[in-house]
Amino acid sequence: MTVRVNTNEPQLGLPAALSRAVAPEGSIAPKIYFEAVGEEEFRKKPIGSGPWKFVRSVPGDRIEFEAVTHPHWRGRPHFKNLHILQIPEESTRVAMVRTGEAAIASISPETVLSAGRGGLEVLTIPGTMQAVFQFYGAWRPSVKDDPITRPRVRQALSLAIDREQIIEHVMAGKAQMPRPFATFGFTDSLSVDRWKKWSDDAYRYDPALAKKILAEEGYPNGFVLKFANVALPGTQFMISIGTAIADMWTKIGIKVNMKHYEWGAFPPMQMGEQPNLTGWASMFRTAGRPDVPWRYNAAFAPDSTERLLGDTGDCQETCRKFLEIYKAVINERDPAKRTTLNDSMVQLIADQWIVVPIIEGMGYYAINKKKVGEFAAIPGRHELGDVFERMPHPDEKPWKN
Amino acid sequence: MSGFIARRLLQGLVVLVLVATVVFFLGRLTGNPADLMLPEDATAEDRQRLIEALGLDGSLFKQFVAFISSALKGDLGTSLRMRQPAIDVFLSRLPNTLAIIPWALLLAMVVGIPLGVVAALHRGRLLDRAAGTIAVLGIATPSFWLGIVLIFLFSVELGWLPSGRMGGPEHYVLPVITLGAFLTAGFMRLTRSSMLEVLESEYVKLARIKGLSESVVIWKHCLRNALIPVLTLWGVFVGNLITGAIVTETVFAWPGVGRLTYEAVIYRDFPLLQAIIILKAILILTINLVVDILYAYVDPRIRVN
Repeated sequence: MTVRVNTNEPQLGLPAALSRAVAPEGSIAPKIYFEAVGEEEFRKKPIGSGPWKFVRSVPGDRIEFEAVTHPHWRGRPHFKNLHILQIPEESTRVAMVRTGEAAIASISPETVLSAGRGGLEVLTIPGTMQAVFQFYGAWRPSVKDDPITRPRVRQALSLAIDREQIIEHVMAGKAQMPRPFATFGFTDSLSVDRWKKWSDDAYRYDPALAKKILAEEGYPNGFVLKFANVALPGTQFMISIGTAIADMWTKIGIKVNMKHYEWGAFPPMQMGEQPNLTGWASMFRTAGRPDVPWRYNAAFAPDSTERLLGDTGDCQETCRKFLEIYKAVINERDPAKRTTLNDSMVQLIADQWIVVPIIEGMGYYAINKKKVGEFAAIPGRHELGDVFERMPHPDEKPWKN
Repeated sequence: MSGFIARRLLQGLVVLVLVATVVFFLGRLTGNPADLMLPEDATAEDRQRLIEALGLDGSLFKQFVAFISSALKGDLGTSLRMRQPAIDVFLSRLPNTLAIIPWALLLAMVVGIPLGVVAALHRGRLLDRAAGTIAVLGIATPSFWLGIVLIFLFSVELGWLPSGRMGGPEHYVLPVITLGAFLTAGFMRLTRSSMLEVLESEYVKLARIKGLSESVVIWKHCLRNALIPVLTLWGVFVGNLITGAIVTETVFAWPGVGRLTYEAVIYRDFPLLQAIIILKAILILTINLVVDILYAYVDPRIRVN
């Protein structure tokens, strides 16, 4: 079957936006069935185009799928049935994998070591997210004399962070050094090797240089930094990371005025003139996805929610430059030219130090080796999704160790 | 009696209105559910569109008035996440919670009441102290911790019982023990103090003087009267079980109203959370009223008063 989509102008991100590689994701649904039964009934009994057929949903317990019997372009599943169990408590999930009541369970970094000690295979999926810190309203006139308005000061704050320590002690070794904001090893149309080299140097730990830069910028004794520590849903470890970097900043003379926010309270602060965030640094994150432009647009466009470079009433040089490059990127069909444009967009933002990656996080799964054979996850995709049909039986492909 | 029931119903109505008001406003202090549903790169327009679609636009007062006027017609709103009437979602899960509550109550009574009697009969001695220790442990042990430890021991290490979810009889054992542990302590302590009071009564002395056997004196005459205050507590305990099952159901992935409450809080599903709390309040008020009526029939002195 071929689906033909007509657009008014080039929409290079459309294939990714319609896939499950990015959020929000689109999905193609059968029009005749949808219109015949209506949205509510479609929700209860959905029909899709994948190799699994929906069987039933037991509210609060599980969703059942059955493998299709005809050949499928994504591959026929090795298992006849797939049950997605809804188990909110992580300890119970791990217990169920250990007893064999479940084959696979998603876990947090804190549980990785104990899952391994319990005899389970732990699969890590690289590039699922970046934990970052970013500066709000640094372009607003009300904070024009604040130290955080200076790119070199922001760079100094980055140099004061020992990312290896955070990876080892906060993330139990299950994280990686980051690349520039929203870029990963699998990012499309980007010079990923170049950016790996760049970030190995740029994101190094150098507190002596950090203090030197602060002195050169007129802050030999540091300054007061307002810092909002918050964790987005599903990544509670961001709070520990935020606490760790705040402590590291104190070692270069920064007096950190840290405020903890529960996620529910944070997004409204990004609305309007951002009075409670202007001049503040805050923890934030980005999800792993193959396309860079959309995430940059969401953070830096003057009409975006975050508006980190300027807004529609006040878009200065860097903000205008970003808009110019962004517009060129999304309209560029030549892959090589698009790569060059993406690289220049990343460079523009990286040089500003307005959003600074701290670590590149991973997704983690505990696996019962007797229930499912070895499989590889897709980098950047936290949920297993279409990996399910590729999972072999344990005797087909046993785990190596 | 009818006057008493009418007064209690009126009081219950006032309590319900207060509960509805408090839960409506307190829930909205925790943030907007749209922020949990949207990715971090959603635009301001996306957010506004979703807020309007969820009916969360407009002032809080306007939303409250809309909520109350719908509630008076029996409509407690639609779950934001499940897109179903909140009452229907609650009622679909209630039987699962009611399936474990009687067993937890029975366990607590079967263990707690005899323990209380034994403790009272051996007041100040080793058995009394042992029973007291069990009671303290039962009250002090967090159900979250107890549930996880039971799973570790009986499911993971011994492989005797399943780790969670609803299923056959073997699935009930660990959640019932976890839920009943706290109640066992309460029943034991109340039975003990009630028995101690009754053992000093004149009619007990008379029963002994008449030559009745000690077991008849204790189990027929004393216990019957000692159980009257326990009956009162029974109503409170059932209420505690209904509300307190949140932790147990979450740990054991039991698809009851307790876990539904947890999910409604996590996802800020305001209509569902409001409906759950209001309906639970109705349930508890009803149970307490029934217990009070039973109490009046069991104890003639209450009826006379």
